[in-house]
Amino acid sequence: MPIWLETIEPNLDIDPQHGTCLQATGDWTFQHADALVSLLREKRAGMDSMDARSINRIDATGSQLLMAFLRRQGIAGDQLAAKPEHLALIDAVLSASQSPPAAVQPAALTIRVLAGIGAFMEKAQANTLIFLAFLGQTLLSAMINIVRPKHWRITSVVFHMQAVGLNAVPLVMLLSFMIGAVIAFLGATVLSEFGAELWVVELVGVSFLREFGVMLTAILLAGRTASAFTAQIGSMKSGEELDAIKTMGLDPIELLVLPRIIALLLTMPLLAFLATMAGLLGGMAVCDWSLGISPEMFMSRLNSELSPRHIWIGLSKAPVFAAVIGLIGCLEGFKCKGNAQSVGEHTTSSVVQSISLVILLDALAAMFFMELDL
Amino acid sequence: MTDDPRNIIEVSGLCNRFGDFVVHENLDLQVRQGEIIGVVGGSGSGKSVLMRSILALNKPQSGSIVVLGRNALSARARDRLYIERNTGVLFQNGALFSSLTVLENVLVPLKEHSTLPDRLMTELAMVKIQLAGLEPEAAFKFPAELSGGMRKRAGIARALAMDAPLLFLDEPTAGLDPISAAEFDRLILTIQKALQLTVFLITHDLDTLYTICDRVAVIADRKVLVNAPIGEVAAFDHPWIQEYFHGPRGRAAQSAQEKL
Repeated sequence: MPIWLETIEPNLDIDPQHGTCLQATGDWTFQHADALVSLLREKRAGMDSMDARSINRIDATGSQLLMAFLRRQGIAGDQLAAKPEHLALIDAVLSASQSPPAAVQPAALTIRVLAGIGAFMEKAQANTLIFLAFLGQTLLSAMINIVRPKHWRITSVVFHMQAVGLNAVPLVMLLSFMIGAVIAFLGATVLSEFGAELWVVELVGVSFLREFGVMLTAILLAGRTASAFTAQIGSMKSGEELDAIKTMGLDPIELLVLPRIIALLLTMPLLAFLATMAGLLGGMAVCDWSLGISPEMFMSRLNSELSPRHIWIGLSKAPVFAAVIGLIGCLEGFKCKGNAQSVGEHTTSSVVQSISLVILLDALAAMFFMELDL
Repeated sequence: MTDDPRNIIEVSGLCNRFGDFVVHENLDLQVRQGEIIGVVGGSGSGKSVLMRSILALNKPQSGSIVVLGRNALSARARDRLYIERNTGVLFQNGALFSSLTVLENVLVPLKEHSTLPDRLMTELAMVKIQLAGLEPEAAFKFPAELSGGMRKRAGIARALAMDAPLLFLDEPTAGLDPISAAEFDRLILTIQKALQLTVFLITHDLDTLYTICDRVAVIADRKVLVNAPIGEVAAFDHPWIQEYFHGPRGRAAQSAQEKL
């Protein structure tokens, strides 16, 4: 039988020859740590030396427990007899356990709460400044590179257009279709009380052309794309790829940020348009099935009652949202530190920030356009 | 030889292929209980793949691997757990959990596999951290705050956490300065002697080979060419081995060894 499968229970007895000497036997290893702890728990009265020469095997755990026991027992180091190869390890463990770690004294609760609030405010201020600085840097880099066609990263832009735009089409259209249907149902329920079912067309039309088409797209892209940007750049940062880019004299903003933001700027209006169409389709389907408004009637009412400015107002927000989503996604990626936890935290933060900012900007835009009577 | 009970690792007929690229073909390797075996080979010769196969991180196309008397390729959870509990591994870049402090990293295997009181586990972990040559203050730092060498030491501390009888070290001294590397070699030797550990050591460091390895296994041409004490290996007639041991670096390490 191979020897590593055999193991001897550790034991501690009084030496039959010397009444004041303890004799340790067996395997003093991690495997038997529980047995060792209970074996060494009680103090042995009147013992002044330890014979560990009969210990079969000992490891760092065993050595540490043995030496801790000797300290509690008051047995001096020179009263320990052990095999020379065991002594070497015991010495190594002893010298490794001499300086205890300094205990950190936690501050009082009130102080910690106040410090937390202060740190949060400081961080919020710093984050705002960093965002503005990043926006400036990106614009600067864009301005420098717009006159240098050699620096246009066409391949990269097209790649990102496919990743953030084309691949998101089914999702965006499906969800918009569903929301369109839901709004038509809600409108039908409320408006039928006044006998005004026909106004469902205006309800679906205005809400999708002005708000929901672009909002839904922005929220989906914030979840889908901002997080992807953060994770991509964050993991590049932890792999020191960003440092490599810098040392090669390349500009990480030009290389990583501009293609992503340009791709978003180009695809987001298209996606928003598709989302609007899908939403209208959803409304149209519900109108046809449950309200008896035929698609022809739906279309003609849409044409006669709604002015085209609604869709221009809606789509005019798309590039703004695209820039916000792209900038936050990339910036959070650059803020990552070199560990998995940090990449996760910043990905969450980028999604939360971009969704909140998109909704905030949309609310401001709604007020703005209302004031302009558009 | 193949059923020698002293063999703690027994690899036979191992074949590893990635697509068309053959890494190992009919590779045999025996590691004896209580020895430090140094595994050397050129870059891309499959040293790490061999280690990953033994650790069941990589499924070979064919062959058998027996570790500690159990079939390492077995799907049985009990066999896997037995091998995992009895092996400590230091990966090339430390593979520390980046969201945990060094102390918490070392505590992970302890907490998972033992029922000791928390205070004792922390003490045990602190000793391992200091055994690996780190200051106690480093225990509360995160891996990202450590230098490469310190990360390596933290990785060793975690590999030692359970006092496993079988230790796998993937290039432990790479990235350390020569003085730290020599210290590290001594540390491995001290622990190995006292514990009768078996150490499977992948290295490029000729000094490590000369100072602490009992045997050296050379991987080239998709198999283990020779597995013997270093003197015999250095005399083996193969172009790669001759270049490796008798190139300028090899000669320097050899003469340093002779002076000792």
